[in-house]
Amino acid sequence: MKILVTVKLVPDTNADKRIDPATKRLVRTGVETVLNPFDEYAIEAALQLKEKLNDGSTVTIVSMTPASGKEIVRKALAMGADDAVMLSDDAVAGSDLWGTAVALAATIKAQSPDLVVTGTQSTDAISGDLPGMLAEKLGIPGLTYARKLEVDGGRVRVQRETETGYMTVSAPLPAVVSVTKSANEPRYPSLKGIMGAKKKEIKQLAAADIGLTVAVGTDGAKAQLTDLATPPARAKGHVIQAPDAAEGAKAIVQFLKDRKFL
Amino acid sequence: MKNVIAYIEHKHGTIRRSSLEAATQARAIADQLGGKAHAVVAGDGAQQAAETLKKYPLDQIHVMEEERFIDGAVDAVEAVAKSSGPSLVLVGNTMIGRDVGSRFAARVDCGINADVVDFKTEGGEVSCVMPKLGGLVITTCKLTGSDYGVAAIRPNVFAAKETPGAGEIVQIPSSGKASTVTVEDEVEEAAAELGVEEASVVVSGGRGMGGPEPFTTILKDLADAFGGAVGASRAAVDAGWVSHGHQVGQTGKTISPQLYIAVGISGAIQHKVGMRTSETIVAINKDAGAPIAEFADLLVAGDAFAIVPELTKLVRDAKAVHA
Ligand SMILES: Cc1cc2nc3c(=O)[nH]c(=O)nc-3n(C[C@H](O)[C@H](O)[C@H](O)COP(=O)(O)OP(=O)(O)OC[C@H]3O[C@@H](n4cnc5c(N)ncnc54)[C@H](O)[C@@H]3O)c2cc1C
Repeated sequence: MKILVTVKLVPDTNADKRIDPATKRLVRTGVETVLNPFDEYAIEAALQLKEKLNDGSTVTIVSMTPASGKEIVRKALAMGADDAVMLSDDAVAGSDLWGTAVALAATIKAQSPDLVVTGTQSTDAISGDLPGMLAEKLGIPGLTYARKLEVDGGRVRVQRETETGYMTVSAPLPAVVSVTKSANEPRYPSLKGIMGAKKKEIKQLAAADIGLTVAVGTDGAKAQLTDLATPPARAKGHVIQAPDAAEGAKAIVQFLKDRKFL
Repeated sequence: MKNVIAYIEHKHGTIRRSSLEAATQARAIADQLGGKAHAVVAGDGAQQAAETLKKYPLDQIHVMEEERFIDGAVDAVEAVAKSSGPSLVLVGNTMIGRDVGSRFAARVDCGINADVVDFKTEGGEVSCVMPKLGGLVITTCKLTGSDYGVAAIRPNVFAAKETPGAGEIVQIPSSGKASTVTVEDEVEEAAAELGVEEASVVVSGGRGMGGPEPFTTILKDLADAFGGAVGASRAAVDAGWVSHGHQVGQTGKTISPQLYIAVGISGAIQHKVGMRTSETIVAINKDAGAPIAEFADLLVAGDAFAIVPELTKLVRDAKAVHA
């Protein structure tokens, strides 16, 4: 089985991000780029599936990212994926969700996968919309929010998380599955994995290679950024030392009354 | 865009609050655009949900009883969009809402904006306002280049208000299509309770709670006193004290309740990005110098195990006076 995992590069989650007041852009200097933490669960799920099937199945990483993202893609390879495909092209830079879905789906389609595994969302955009859009664009079933997945007899079966529990849903392959952080505990790349990853193939594709016929990127965006503002900073609040529980509780209640919560 | 379509999420006929917010907001935007406000409700119990929707300011309520999980809902929204003309589709920014909105957007090739907290309309075009990077920036995006657009609205930001409209119920004929996704079973692990995304008051606990018990006792009591929900930091979730659905933050949920009470939570950046757009933030922490002091409106330094039960009592007393 050919398993594909989509990954994204995001600004380091530990960095306190700043916006440059003049350019209104994210200050990127000093902010490292990392593998979207949510995607690590997708990689782990794919690797576990491959190991369980033990039938020569492969795991391919797919990413739409500038060429500079290669090192991050390599981290996914170091975890144990077999190879990677990167779509790097100025024509797709600045794509909105729709453009990303169109370009990524075309990249995926060219690989003819049996299963596409994604994270539920990215830490920078936090939309959670891409898995469903990919399924729709690929014209195959989409099973989202999976905390458990198995493949059997040409079908994928997942436990889909709900607000109050889960539901079991299944669909024929090929399909798109997004996995949640409850699905597994992502492995760390081993030293052997890191060394081995250097020899693995990272295929770089341009928009022309995937037969992209519609304009995506900044110009083709159907959700166009028109304004970016920094909200007024939160005024630093009060700190009250509570000598005892009653005093502490009273202080909070007074505050809530002042603010008309009570 | 002229008309506004609210996709209504429900469970066997009981509508989620975020969908009632979408229905109410659909009217407000449709009025600005000079169009109609529609609602779409699909699946088992749709008819019953439609009756509830009559109390909301909608022109038409479209019903499809056919049950085909996400597929059926997307088909229903598509049918209404195609018949009513250029439209903005509103969904709740929930697991189901996102699935329906994203699939519709991909199907009809339109723009989609996630986690919308405000709208601007000008010259028939709709712009969505969305906090990004955990509220660090506020972006405005215009939906252009298509007859349609999708906005997933953040729960608890727009009001749900009962003011009946024409409320004409229109049946959508069954598509007769086979479902590609089979729902095999559904398991309830917890009693249906208000989720952190939809609660107007969230009482969250962190590593400072020391174990699972406080989440079902002292924190739950305080949340109940407000009619709110219990949230958690990742440390508490990772320790297995409370399920992932409660987690607030970068790898959890992004929420904007009116009141957020952080108990025994230090206020790490990844937690902060999930809750910093809360209207009011109160922290209870042993350590007056915890990072949360930097963005809480009030930090009371002291032992949570002593303060919270006392606070719950006072809140109940204050509420009783008003009742
Ligand atoms: C990629 C990534 C994603 C992450 N995503 C998230 C996320 O989504 N959400 C999230 O929350 N975190 C997230 N984290 C983790 C985050 O960095 C912090 O580790 C976490 O938020 C800390 O949780 P905490 O505040 O409960 O625990 P701690 O930082 O250990 O803080 C505990 C606090 O409790 C106080 N305390 C202890 N006892 C008492 C008492 N009796 N009474 C009152 N106060 C007491 C202490 O003073 C302290 O301030 C993420 C981290 C990474 C790397």
